[in-house]
Amino acid sequence: MAVGRFSLRAGSISDHILAGIPTIWLTVFFLAPLGFTVVFSFGRSTFGGVELGFTLNNYATALSGFYGAAFLRTLLFAATASGLCLLVAFPVAYFIARHTSRFRLLAITLVLIPYFSSFLIRVMSLTMLMSREGLLEKVLNTLHLHAGPLDLLDTQTAVFIGIVYAYLPIAVVPLVVVLDRIPKALTEASRDLGATRWETFLLVTLPLSRPGIATAIMLTAVPMLGEMVIPKLLGGSRGVLMGQALSSQYLQSQNYPLGSAMAVLVLLGVAVIVGLLAWITKGFAEVGR
Amino acid sequence: MMVERSYRGDWRDHAIDSGLVVWYLAAVIFLFAPIIAAIVYSFNLGVVNKQTAVLTGWTWQWYPAAWHDLSLRRSVSASLVVSFWSALISIVMGTLLGYAIVRHPSSKVRRFLAGFTYMLLIVPESVIGVSLLLFFAVTRFALNTVTLVAGITPMAIAVVALVIRARVLTLDREVEEAAADLGSTRVATLWLVILPQLAPAVAVGGVMAYTFSFDNLVVSAFLTTARINTLPVYLYGSLQYGPSPAVYAAAAAVFLFTMLLLALAVLIYWITRRPAAA
Amino acid sequence: MTRILCSNGSSLTRRSMLGLLGAAPAAASLTSIGLGASRAWAATGQLNIYSWPDYFSTADLDAYAKKTGVTPNISTYDSDDTMFAKVNSPAGSGFDIVIPGSSWIKQLAAKGLLEEIDHSKLDLGSLDPHLLNRDYDPGNKYSIPKDWGLLGVIYNPEAVGGEIKTWEDFFQAGEKPGVSGKIRMSDSGWETIGPELWLEGKDWNTVGEADIRKAAERLKSFAKHVKSFSGLDVNSLANGAIVLAQTNQAKARAAIGLNPKLKWVVPGPMSELWVDNYVLIKDAPNLEQAYDFLAFQLRPEIQLAETEYIGFPAPLAGLREKLGADVKDADLIFGGKDVDFSKLTSFVVNPETVGFYSQLQTEIQAAAG
Repeated sequence: MAVGRFSLRAGSISDHILAGIPTIWLTVFFLAPLGFTVVFSFGRSTFGGVELGFTLNNYATALSGFYGAAFLRTLLFAATASGLCLLVAFPVAYFIARHTSRFRLLAITLVLIPYFSSFLIRVMSLTMLMSREGLLEKVLNTLHLHAGPLDLLDTQTAVFIGIVYAYLPIAVVPLVVVLDRIPKALTEASRDLGATRWETFLLVTLPLSRPGIATAIMLTAVPMLGEMVIPKLLGGSRGVLMGQALSSQYLQSQNYPLGSAMAVLVLLGVAVIVGLLAWITKGFAEVGR
Repeated sequence: MMVERSYRGDWRDHAIDSGLVVWYLAAVIFLFAPIIAAIVYSFNLGVVNKQTAVLTGWTWQWYPAAWHDLSLRRSVSASLVVSFWSALISIVMGTLLGYAIVRHPSSKVRRFLAGFTYMLLIVPESVIGVSLLLFFAVTRFALNTVTLVAGITPMAIAVVALVIRARVLTLDREVEEAAADLGSTRVATLWLVILPQLAPAVAVGGVMAYTFSFDNLVVSAFLTTARINTLPVYLYGSLQYGPSPAVYAAAAAVFLFTMLLLALAVLIYWITRRPAAA
Repeated sequence: MTRILCSNGSSLTRRSMLGLLGAAPAAASLTSIGLGASRAWAATGQLNIYSWPDYFSTADLDAYAKKTGVTPNISTYDSDDTMFAKVNSPAGSGFDIVIPGSSWIKQLAAKGLLEEIDHSKLDLGSLDPHLLNRDYDPGNKYSIPKDWGLLGVIYNPEAVGGEIKTWEDFFQAGEKPGVSGKIRMSDSGWETIGPELWLEGKDWNTVGEADIRKAAERLKSFAKHVKSFSGLDVNSLANGAIVLAQTNQAKARAAIGLNPKLKWVVPGPMSELWVDNYVLIKDAPNLEQAYDFLAFQLRPEIQLAETEYIGFPAPLAGLREKLGADVKDADLIFGGKDVDFSKLTSFVVNPETVGFYSQLQTEIQAAAG
């Protein structure tokens, strides 16, 4: 119902240009190379090269039992790790968004400052802190939460700790950004009407933060599917995750077509899952008016 | 810290409020511990020039050693340059993309853009790295800093776009429609009405894009050249034979340097704000 | 509406913050351009090397720079396979010297990526003959050894309850309680499966798919005892988190430096000798400079200094005697006093079989976790 020089209903040239700029950039530097990957997936490997052609052998191998199991295991891993990350991140984001006003900038800056240093160095330091006779063992022993040597490194637990560490701000940021916009008037009204704090949270705040939660899940769970570095540095490379399996095809076996076929399958599989989730939870819908 | 006073003010609410503060502080300590440890370990003597988990001695030697290792020094400077440009491009593209995903008039376009953005995150980095390498090979693009920056941007753009999108979803449509009613163009509305409301999301998204680019390992490993090498690639390679404390010194130095600049920026900001507050 | 358009509230809604947050990294990167970047873009006198990080002594690089005015520009990789992928692509152009492991030289040459070495320009006479003319590069047509290492086992004799002399001892020890769950094995398929192949008397370079798979079966059942396949952290050996590990002699030396109770052995019947080499890339932009650098690196005093810096022995003949008395555990640099070169073999990547090795490594790692 707009009258001015642009209408929010009909598309205008400037809309298309604004959307077009990133699209063109991404088409050149992402879509086109990806297209190559799809083409290569049908080719034959020449050990570090690809002979173009059409064969479905690569897909047959990629769909074999071993890789199917690896894919499912990776999905489970990412879902668990992402859930953990969100559990840790939500109270942090809630605190920043709704309990700090004058110090909000400081609060969120404190969470982001460590990220200005190199990630690998921090993971390597985390390794040293979690090793035997390291700081964590000393702290836990002093607090009587644990006795004796701490065998945390090269375990699944260490990997989860490392992943939560790595993805925490990525989960906190979208949550803060959305929780920040929930009007205090709404929660106050809920309390006025007699709801307890927990009920208010569950029935008012949580649903309104759906876009933030959906974004946080998207930004954590999906990249976790390709995670290679943390399972290697903190988990001793035990078990197999898709990130490592894919990379091994490209680098150690120099088999680009097989790696490409696996990549296409992963892409399709995850796209289907993400699409399903988004549709079921309608988590990406607008909550503004 | 101003803790919001709850409606009833009873002990349960105080407990929850205190719990939130404790949780937040614990998270901050958790996030800071490794970087502080890294700074401490940059002074460690190590054994046969390699880093050790136990502190074997206290020495300043690794800082000049890191400076003299030209390969390390250049990789640091390359990383800073690359991540700056990548962040800049990603902020601009990501904001445009994130906004368009929500506000583009055609729902088909919106769905396409959203799917496109998700795809940027779904594709594993090793696949992107190899595809870009092969793509540049076939199209005969010479590999240099530009291709390295361009290769890192897609994922950073996706991160910024999704953060912006989450924020735009909470914006009030009626304000934009009012602006349109008053005769504003799309671009003017974006610049004068939307962007100020998006500012926190853009700022934070920008920080995330910068740190993502700075720490990018897998794609960078494929796109570095004879002339340009980045810090994460250097660090990851040092894990094979064991890193020396010099790399910790380099990382600590870069961190402190960046913090200094940030503090300077905040200082300038506070000073320039004074007249407005008066 | 006015409130939103002329927002004066929380600092977070100020657009100017954007500019300032951008200023910090901007200033950081602009000032960093001066940090030693200028030399890399000098028009003359360049040398581009692709190597592991921190693999050249900074003192020697400085000495070379002082002598010739050229500072080598070193770019790094994190694994031999990444190195191969890059060199085999346009990303590899621009490099003059690359430092590949012995396993990849044959394939690099097969793809036409290497320049044949002109032996009239370099004097290899000072090098140990054991390290020259090996089957990964007969006649040293393409490569000159830079340093070498052995695949051996480091262990805690108390925990293991005895000595380890062969790979069979290694596997037996690994199943004991107190050792199981505290083992580190290699992340490369051939180093993991190799020991079983050697015990069966087979040659890992000529063996076929069926034999590789059969040998891998033992490794898959052994995998549950393994704690880590990632790079060995010497601290884990020192503090007892790992008591039995496959590794190279330099890591062993560092670990024994931290915990003298540990023991190192190169198990029989066979083990691996790997050599990191200098190779010249075809159509290298600075070929003459590369030869000059190599001649410099081959000088006995330089090889000595490099050995002390990186902890791996250079191929210089009689190096052991030349090492100063103050070098700790000097014998360990060479893998011990009595290393039998006839019981050492180098792996050569074979496109027909390397895929099986790496696939089986993935399956072995999966069986472990």
